[in-house]
Amino acid sequence: MSARVPALLVMHADLSAALLRAAEQVVGPIEGVETLSNAGLSRDDLERAITERVERWPSGGLVFTDFWGGSCHQCGASAARGRGEVVVVTGLNLPTLIDYLHNREKYGVVDLAERLQKKGQESIRVQRSAA
Amino acid sequence: MSWLLHRIDDRLSHGQVVVAWAQRLQPQRIDVVDDAVGSRLRPARIWVADDAAASSSWERSLLLSAAPGIEVRVVNVAAAAAAYAEEAAAPGGAFLLVRDLASARALVEAGAAVPAWNLGGLHYAPGKSKINEYIYLDDGDLGAARALLERGVTLEVQDVPASRAQSLRALIPMLSAT
Repeated sequence: MSARVPALLVMHADLSAALLRAAEQVVGPIEGVETLSNAGLSRDDLERAITERVERWPSGGLVFTDFWGGSCHQCGASAARGRGEVVVVTGLNLPTLIDYLHNREKYGVVDLAERLQKKGQESIRVQRSAA
Repeated sequence: MSWLLHRIDDRLSHGQVVVAWAQRLQPQRIDVVDDAVGSRLRPARIWVADDAAASSSWERSLLLSAAPGIEVRVVNVAAAAAAYAEEAAAPGGAFLLVRDLASARALVEAGAAVPAWNLGGLHYAPGKSKINEYIYLDDGDLGAARALLERGVTLEVQDVPASRAQSLRALIPMLSAT
């Protein structure tokens, strides 16, 4: 058992709040996860808003963003820079968020991020119709 | 004509540019112009052009990685102005991104024959007045806009290709007053 790895979801529009609400419908009330929208924020202000949150984490945590290359990812990466225990994971979806919730006390930050990358990639599947 | 889009956006290269505009217009190269960064890495292919991170090779590699499949170069305004005509005649298409109206004005005044700028995102900061949901300007911005308009440069407000383009002149009638 490790200390719980905290998380911040940074996404476009209302996606991070909606994703968290959806996860709560599956697993019940969730603590220790913050959300942030990039709406209306300049690059500097978004980076500052992320930094304000991650610097409260005593021993790091995960910044989840929606897609690679967007402002959420780039500002998250900038905010995490120099903080080795703050790791950015892009492309978060609901199965991966739920896997995070189930495992955030079992892994350290870096190992958890690597697990989630793998789980996230495995989480998109094609249901083929019956012959 | 190589230039496909000239954009003023305080986020420089980001999702709207690399996803929406790039898929619409398919540039082969994105040129990010920022004096703060440009002097350091002229031949770099992708940069994160951010004042706070201007001296950071780490930030530049972030911008490089943020636009997969598109070559990104960051140069300063003078270098971009100098390279402007050559790029205009080069095969393939290019985007030109600057972070603010002052940079856009400087580029034009340095000799780049930019016909039109797209104002794609100039977000709220203290002292700036709201023009629409994603454009906030102060007196310095308006001065730069006026100087560009007086040179015959078109200024159009449009965040993504699917939204309607509006002329800045129409949004701010006082820009037309002399």
